[in-house]
Amino acid sequence: MNNPFRRRSATDLSPPAKLGAFVLLLGWAFIVLFPIYWLFVTSFKTPYQVDKGPFYIPFVDFQPTLDAWKYILFDLGNDTIRPYINTVIVGLTSSVIALMFGSLAAYALVRFTYRPRLGIVGLFIGSFAFVVIAGLAGAPLLLAAFSGLAVFLILAQTIGRRFVRAFGNSDIAFWLISQRILPPIAVAVPLYVLFQQVHLLDNIAALILTYVATNLPIVVWLMRDYFASLPRELEESAAVDGASVYRIVRSIVLPISVPGLVATFLIVLIFAWNEFLIALVLTSANAQTMPLQVAAQNATRGPQWWAMSVLIIIMITPVVAMAVALERYITKGILVGALKG
Amino acid sequence: MRLATDTLGAWRSDGAARWLFIWPAVLLILALSLFPLVASIAMSLSKLVFNPGGVKLDFIGFFNYQQLLFGLERSHFLGVLRPPTAIGWAILIGTIALAAVAWVRTARSGRVGIVGLALRLVGGVLLAGFVWILVQTLASEGGRPGSLVVTLIFVFGGIVLQLGLGLGLAMLAVQQVPWRRLFRILFLIPLTITPVGVGYMFLMMTDTSKGPLEPAWVALGLRNFTWVTDPWLARLAVIIGDTWQWTPFVFIVLLAALESLDQEVREAALVDGASRWQSFRNITMPALLPVTTTIVLIRIIEGFKIIDMPNILLGGGPGTATQSMTLQAYIDWNTLNLGRSAAVAYLLLILVSIVATVYVSFVRRRVTELA
Amino acid sequence: MSRYRMVAAAIIPILVLTACNSSASPSPSSSAPAASAPAASAPAASASASAVAASPGTKFKGISVNILTFNGPQVAEPLQRRAPDWEQLTGGHVNVVAVGFQTIYDKALLDASTGTNSFDGYVFDPQWMGDFVGPGYLLDLTDREKNDPQLDQQDIVPFFRDYNSVYNGKNYTIPLDGDFHMVYYRSDLLTKDGLKPPATWDDYLTIAQKYNGQDLNGDGQPDYGSCIAKKKGAQSYWWIISVAAGLLQGKGTSDGTFFDTTNMNPLFGKNDAMTLALQTYAKTATFGPPDELNMDVGGSRGLFTTGRCALTMDWGDIGTLTPGTYAQDKTGATITPGWKQVLDRSTGKLVACDATTCPYAVDGVNYAPFGSFGGWSGAINAKSPADNQNAAYDFLSYMSAPAQSGIDVTLGKTGYNPYRTSHFTNTAPWLAAGLSQAATDNYLGAIKTSLDNKNFVLDLRIPQTKQYEQDVLDTAISQYLAKELDEAGTEDAIANGWNSITDQAGKDKQLAAYVSSLGIKK
Repeated sequence: MNNPFRRRSATDLSPPAKLGAFVLLLGWAFIVLFPIYWLFVTSFKTPYQVDKGPFYIPFVDFQPTLDAWKYILFDLGNDTIRPYINTVIVGLTSSVIALMFGSLAAYALVRFTYRPRLGIVGLFIGSFAFVVIAGLAGAPLLLAAFSGLAVFLILAQTIGRRFVRAFGNSDIAFWLISQRILPPIAVAVPLYVLFQQVHLLDNIAALILTYVATNLPIVVWLMRDYFASLPRELEESAAVDGASVYRIVRSIVLPISVPGLVATFLIVLIFAWNEFLIALVLTSANAQTMPLQVAAQNATRGPQWWAMSVLIIIMITPVVAMAVALERYITKGILVGALKG
Repeated sequence: MRLATDTLGAWRSDGAARWLFIWPAVLLILALSLFPLVASIAMSLSKLVFNPGGVKLDFIGFFNYQQLLFGLERSHFLGVLRPPTAIGWAILIGTIALAAVAWVRTARSGRVGIVGLALRLVGGVLLAGFVWILVQTLASEGGRPGSLVVTLIFVFGGIVLQLGLGLGLAMLAVQQVPWRRLFRILFLIPLTITPVGVGYMFLMMTDTSKGPLEPAWVALGLRNFTWVTDPWLARLAVIIGDTWQWTPFVFIVLLAALESLDQEVREAALVDGASRWQSFRNITMPALLPVTTTIVLIRIIEGFKIIDMPNILLGGGPGTATQSMTLQAYIDWNTLNLGRSAAVAYLLLILVSIVATVYVSFVRRRVTELA
Repeated sequence: MSRYRMVAAAIIPILVLTACNSSASPSPSSSAPAASAPAASAPAASASASAVAASPGTKFKGISVNILTFNGPQVAEPLQRRAPDWEQLTGGHVNVVAVGFQTIYDKALLDASTGTNSFDGYVFDPQWMGDFVGPGYLLDLTDREKNDPQLDQQDIVPFFRDYNSVYNGKNYTIPLDGDFHMVYYRSDLLTKDGLKPPATWDDYLTIAQKYNGQDLNGDGQPDYGSCIAKKKGAQSYWWIISVAAGLLQGKGTSDGTFFDTTNMNPLFGKNDAMTLALQTYAKTATFGPPDELNMDVGGSRGLFTTGRCALTMDWGDIGTLTPGTYAQDKTGATITPGWKQVLDRSTGKLVACDATTCPYAVDGVNYAPFGSFGGWSGAINAKSPADNQNAAYDFLSYMSAPAQSGIDVTLGKTGYNPYRTSHFTNTAPWLAAGLSQAATDNYLGAIKTSLDNKNFVLDLRIPQTKQYEQDVLDTAISQYLAKELDEAGTEDAIANGWNSITDQAGKDKQLAAYVSSLGIKK
């Protein structure tokens, strides 16, 4: 029987060091798992048992009961199933779309050169602000929009051209990541108004759109560094051979990038799966998602620990399952930064 | 040798692809971010009025900002400002001195033009003002940090811990130890739980009267003592919860980076007699630096928005000891004071934009060039 | 590959199982004590059906109403449980949209103010009427309620009927729940030591001090004299009002507790009454659990029912939560303690209670039971189509009718507490819920004493009430408890904060709203 801690190569640790590493890892694993275990155990307790004090082991310390599970899965029935399905649909759809658009954009930022001119960008923002403020002040929306567009086009031809300074690729990238700086609380009500105008309130389409827009920057940043570290020789030789960009992306870049794509997908999925505040504001009856149900267990007279534990467990199970399935891609996947060469 | 970020000349002529690739993302983000951005600026400059016709925005100018920075809400936002102690003065004067020296050096070297120098001067003044507030709240008699300083404490404390733990765990998990694949999956779990859920979980864990740590707490003789009434212990609890939740993010990214390192260079170094520490410091660390700076940037941006942990654990208490800026905005939002909520959010935006810009231009660019 | 199959095999059956079961009607869970409700509701439903005029089963056929309320299980539970019965009777359909507590206010207000109008009715906090009635979002229910035999308006106790559901002289809500504070005590301990339940807050402190540190439930651990939840951001800000009200309001409900009715000066400001109230409130913390400052009501309730507190202050829920716990048959309830002094508003000093200053005092003690929160009530969206309004009203009136509510208020899981005279006279449901006769008499007696008191305190019901209470008051009080502010600083913080909100909203407007919210409907 081989010693599991034996040294396997020149760069490997010595057996005692390996054992030490293993013990430390085990320690952190305990720190990670103990709260989860506590959640698990709490889901089998009655309110009285939770109040009475810490009981650790079912059947030894206390009598477990399926009340909380029954309550969440059966009594609440539809009120648990519907948000669950919504979470799955919204999470998967928004992550796939964000991955698609974000990866293309990331690739473009790495391989193409963009130089949007300062003047044009400034004018665009200015005209847009003008339209919004006019609308808020009471002007009819269509009129404001058209006049804003007209102002932009006219000024762009004249003044806009005069500014030679331009932004570059990294500025675009910075603009993208800066979208994540503003806390969602500030945009919650404007988003509500926006979606109300297009009659998409309480509709998962609104959530999907919002999550795509919110998570695109993350996809772009993670994939950008990944693409930048891919060996260019493959693409270059294909280009020399006459392949179009689309062909290169489809048959060369994407297959190599599957690990990175999968890893990014998982991260973005987690973000969308667990998002709370926007879902809170944009949904009411039909489009509710699971994080809302978790938070809602905070009754007016105190949190319902037992029910909340059940909800958290059923929420993380699919994500953990997916992580298990995709784990090999994660570790090979996220190559952030130019590491080769 | 061309850098990886150089573009390929052969494709400059492939016009349509340039726009096709980038515009969907840009348009989508523009469509959903521009209006809320402008609308919330408008909100921060007005107050909400409900009348039979609907909801109106009454323009009140900079009143909300004035309240936060100088008026009634100042003690909640900036904190209670008091004359600094000797140490406080030392820190302030030290910072100003260092900044002045750096500015003079840059001016002398002639690397930067007039505009750049002016910008740096303004930046220096801002930095000094900032440190002035920090010192008056933290290193003074009777000063008390407001949500601005509290958020900084969370971000700084959190990042240090998360980076340290994440890097350490990644280094350990990349070794050929048994069960390493299991560890990787397990370590990812905290990230998969919805932040609100993590908050409630920690609330359960840290309950010293009926949580799982109660026997240990009592055994230590702390039965009648609680951490919830001490501001610094409360902040520590928030940082611990935040670290538990976000270390996996750092861990996973660094692990992937470590996995893809070229082993040959390391092997050669070790065979040549370098110690493990030397090989780490001279080979591994430089290679990890670009990754690390990206992670730190992402964690800074996300960390400034911290709200669920302090809100659920303590409601921002004791008093206002753990009230982060986003939490303050949330309390205002919840009581339908949307104008002031937006104002807090915008001050946060300005602050983080400055921090992120400085970080990117000084730290990340230098590091990426080095790599 | 097999790993994926395993995982999928685990998840899919669970989803399928739950999907199959979701089609069955939800049955009440047995996690809380006393579950005899379902059997009783069936005969009750048919009894009230005869009161409804048109032919049962088709009155609201084809009409579907959305009711927004709090995702409980309390509060939403009885609505969801009884909705099928009502649907059976009338042919209408009820959609109970339950959201988290923090957001009912925002959702309802956003929904109404932006013209979305996706809700026909709300079961919410009548305190918020100040923000909803002004812009005309709520339907005037005065005539409907007066002429509704199903509702039996006269059965509702005067406070909830004539004050709580009234704004500017008109009824806007249907009471479903009677919220106010009481103090609960360990009757076994007090009887053993020959003590009377606390009549004043000084008594409360004395009793708390006496029992603090003793083992009150026989488990060998020292327990606490007083448990009052003090967590920030979690409805704790109402307790200080209960402590202070007896000092601030002496001349009846129309006297008001929050502001001076002549000039809108905050009474929660720089005066001796407030200082005394703050000090008393802080003192209760010294006799409580060490983490009381971060404890919410669930925690204090848990402590009391497991026998670890001698005293606690709470809404009516403890009465119905004790069966099956250590505190069963050991719990007594009493009206919130009062004071023997009261504030002279012109001088800011305290004066003794006599016939002029405290006309409603009992044995020299000025009680001021606080109708905190007001009790979950139903209201109708003024902009819904008429059919929806009628259907929603009928459903809410059905919920409030004596037959249904009589059962619901006896069950801890509903979160509803008594508010009708019939709730007190008919003791059978209480006994069925597991309370002993003695406990029932004591509990109902305390409620009745509180509700009969003419110095009952109305919660703040002017526009922006949430900002006054949840923003300014909550923050200031928790800063005081955390010793970030002293009494003077706290009083300043509250007064200045409140004045700022008042000035922003328009002082005259707020004063008029405050005065009319205290008015009585005749």
